[in-house]
Amino acid sequence: MKLLVLTLKRALWFLPTVVGLIIITFIISRIIPADPVALVAGDTATPAQVAALRAKLGLDQPLPMQLLNYFEGLLRGDFGRSLFTTRPIADDLMHRLPATIELTLAAMLFTMVVGIPLGVISAMRRNSLLDHALRVVTVSGLAIASFWLGIMLQLWLAMQWDWLPLAGRIEGFKPTDITGMYTVDSLLTGNWSAFASAAAHLILPALTLAFPALATVVRFTRAGVLDVVQSNFVLYERAMGFPPVLITWKYILRNALISTVTQIGLLFGILLAGTVVIETVFNWPGIGYYAVSSILLSDYNAIMGFTIWSGVIFIIVNLLVDIGHTFIDPRESGA
Amino acid sequence: MTRFHTTVRRLGRGTLLVLALGAALALVAGCESKPDKPTKFVFANTSSFDTLDPHQSFDVGRVAPRINLYDGLYRWVDNPPELIPWLAESYTVSPDGLKWTFKLKQGSKFHDGAEITAEDVVYSTERIFGVGKGAAALFSRMLEPGRTKALDKYTVEFTLSKPSAIFLSIIPEIHVVNSALVKQHVKDGDWGAEWLSFNDAGSGSYVLDQFDPAVGWSAKRFDDHFYGWGENSLPEIEFRVVQEINTRVLGMLNGDYHGTDGYLPYDQVKRLQEAENVQVLDEESMRIFMFQLNNQRAPVSDVNVRRAISYAFNYDAFINDILSGSVERNPVPIPNNLWGVPKDVKGYSFDLEKAKAELAKAKVKPDRELTIGVLTGFNQTEQAATLLQDGLRQIGVKSRIESHPWPVMVGKMKEPSTSPDIVIYWISTYYADPNNWIGEMFNSAGWGTFKSSSFYKNPKVDALLDKALQSTDMAVRAKAYEEAARIVVDEAAGVWVYNTKWFGPYANNVQGVRFCPIGNGQEMRWVSFK
Repeated sequence: MKLLVLTLKRALWFLPTVVGLIIITFIISRIIPADPVALVAGDTATPAQVAALRAKLGLDQPLPMQLLNYFEGLLRGDFGRSLFTTRPIADDLMHRLPATIELTLAAMLFTMVVGIPLGVISAMRRNSLLDHALRVVTVSGLAIASFWLGIMLQLWLAMQWDWLPLAGRIEGFKPTDITGMYTVDSLLTGNWSAFASAAAHLILPALTLAFPALATVVRFTRAGVLDVVQSNFVLYERAMGFPPVLITWKYILRNALISTVTQIGLLFGILLAGTVVIETVFNWPGIGYYAVSSILLSDYNAIMGFTIWSGVIFIIVNLLVDIGHTFIDPRESGA
Repeated sequence: MTRFHTTVRRLGRGTLLVLALGAALALVAGCESKPDKPTKFVFANTSSFDTLDPHQSFDVGRVAPRINLYDGLYRWVDNPPELIPWLAESYTVSPDGLKWTFKLKQGSKFHDGAEITAEDVVYSTERIFGVGKGAAALFSRMLEPGRTKALDKYTVEFTLSKPSAIFLSIIPEIHVVNSALVKQHVKDGDWGAEWLSFNDAGSGSYVLDQFDPAVGWSAKRFDDHFYGWGENSLPEIEFRVVQEINTRVLGMLNGDYHGTDGYLPYDQVKRLQEAENVQVLDEESMRIFMFQLNNQRAPVSDVNVRRAISYAFNYDAFINDILSGSVERNPVPIPNNLWGVPKDVKGYSFDLEKAKAELAKAKVKPDRELTIGVLTGFNQTEQAATLLQDGLRQIGVKSRIESHPWPVMVGKMKEPSTSPDIVIYWISTYYADPNNWIGEMFNSAGWGTFKSSSFYKNPKVDALLDKALQSTDMAVRAKAYEEAARIVVDEAAGVWVYNTKWFGPYANNVQGVRFCPIGNGQEMRWVSFK
């Protein structure tokens, strides 16, 4: 019940947040002194032809009217069309979003599966050689530019040793489309060669994306564990003869995870929005590069569509993080 | 306890987990292997393919679908570019230059087997106007909707609104679509634009197989193509979107791609030239690099100031040191490998004394910072701007570099009041006629288009350019363009730096590439594997 109340409270803020996001992004994208209509009309278009196209696209109307029309379209589920391709924005986004989600999920999975245990080990073996080595790794993760890391991985693992593919999502074209995530779709259809190809292509970009996130998770987990390990209940459990493995991985970790879970939620949102560099280096056809191209071309509807989707996903992820907190620490649901 | 358990305890679960992950990695990686013999030609393209509709795009970066999936009445091939009959077998022009009549080859087919008729050409032309994008603006200067008609099944007549010598040059941009097929997919009066963005209604050498705007497109050879096929022609082609330069280069070195774009930074060209598995073809292109000067805003409106700017740029240092001699100096507003270039014009050179002398003669002195507009993400424009800024500083002229993304720059360049004093960019080859450069840049009738953002106005030059545009006599046209170029250079209406060289990287086992400045060597029907 308390969880339901918490969820409803968070959900009430959802709509005003998204509306505010739409208004701000709409205004900013329109007041930038760019002229995408002239680009669409072509290099040789006269001012009269550009004006005619602008009127046809409804972009000659006052800004408040354009905003109203946009909201009207949204209520119908219409995100508008790309100025450049004339295709529905919703189609373009749905087409690209799974690629970014797949990459982000793979990176987050690696980050959690590797980062949390490393954080615990680093804390429990504080000031050991392993702890110092991990500290070097975490500092590197935060300091190294992701594009440089990506290129280095391409040079060594793809070019020099030919262990993994250089770029792209899969050899050839995609498997049968169910979720849009190639690894998942190929597993669901039993297409093992497609799965192998998709997984192999996913490794390098996911590792590159995960590295800075891994550093953050290791550090937060380590800090959390160090904080909890001094607690009285740990002393009590040791005194009672509980196995050390049980104390560490069940009792200490659970109490230490609060801040880590929050970071994971934030990281997911950041990675989702920040994959553009990785997508560019590895030629990963996701939403990141689509978003940047839209911004550079001032493709208004595409910018709005990407912003709305990113905002919604970010809000949902943080809601899930808050819900996750209540499971880790039931005291939170009473807050 | 078994030996296994002891081993596990000693190694630790963490170590075993790492080993297990590594084994999984090896298994997955091992499942991927490159085929020994290529079964299809893969080209790494720099631009994304937002649409396959040939009437919605006109830019060079997305030319591949237009020239591989579609045909026009005539086609540009080779370098220097030559216009050859393609779907048409011949044409005639009325004495007044208004009626152009084309006879189609009989029996040419679309990909679905339907015969190409004059009605398809009429529909395609009307569709260009209806969609209103791509080459529509170019055609609208000489042709109006409703003035194209089919005289019979294989004869199409265009009635121009005014004589235009470039009409034949731009005829290849009427990519003929299957009218019956497109009409089936028209929605809300869109001329089938949404459907054709994703589909193929052409007759070209290749038939669309798969398309993913985020990935690229692939196509299979159209065996019934009217032109026929040579031996070993490519059975399948793929144009893959690879926007990152480094990834394209590494992909070529790794053998993932068989070709990529020919305008890479020169250090990457050298890297590819040194590779054992890559050959780099080179041709002089027609893409000129220039500084557009705002002729309507003081002090650049003063001819002596413009000449001073022209003398203040170190052309040799830019071409030989920064660009390692990879381009050709081109001092005039027409590519120097095209007709119509006045061969006696030497253009401006880097001479600070002459620059100062011109400034001394100027009636309007540069008493403010000149703005130099460069394109965000295009390093060369930034390098050129920095070099120019240094030259200007040495003659006592202050300047400020402004970087803008292309859409922002296009917006600014519409009006003299908002356009920077100097804008640095390239003019690409849309059709091989001097009008593509000097005509569209310096005829005052074009003010407001991005190409004509010099806002230059000289009635004598306008008259010469109009004469060249309306005459069908090549000698008359060449003379008019040469004379116009002399005046424009003398008045320093712009600064022209170089003509691009195309360095096309291809895998060593590729042969038959026919480079043409229009198309950039991306017409695949001539290409084969050795």
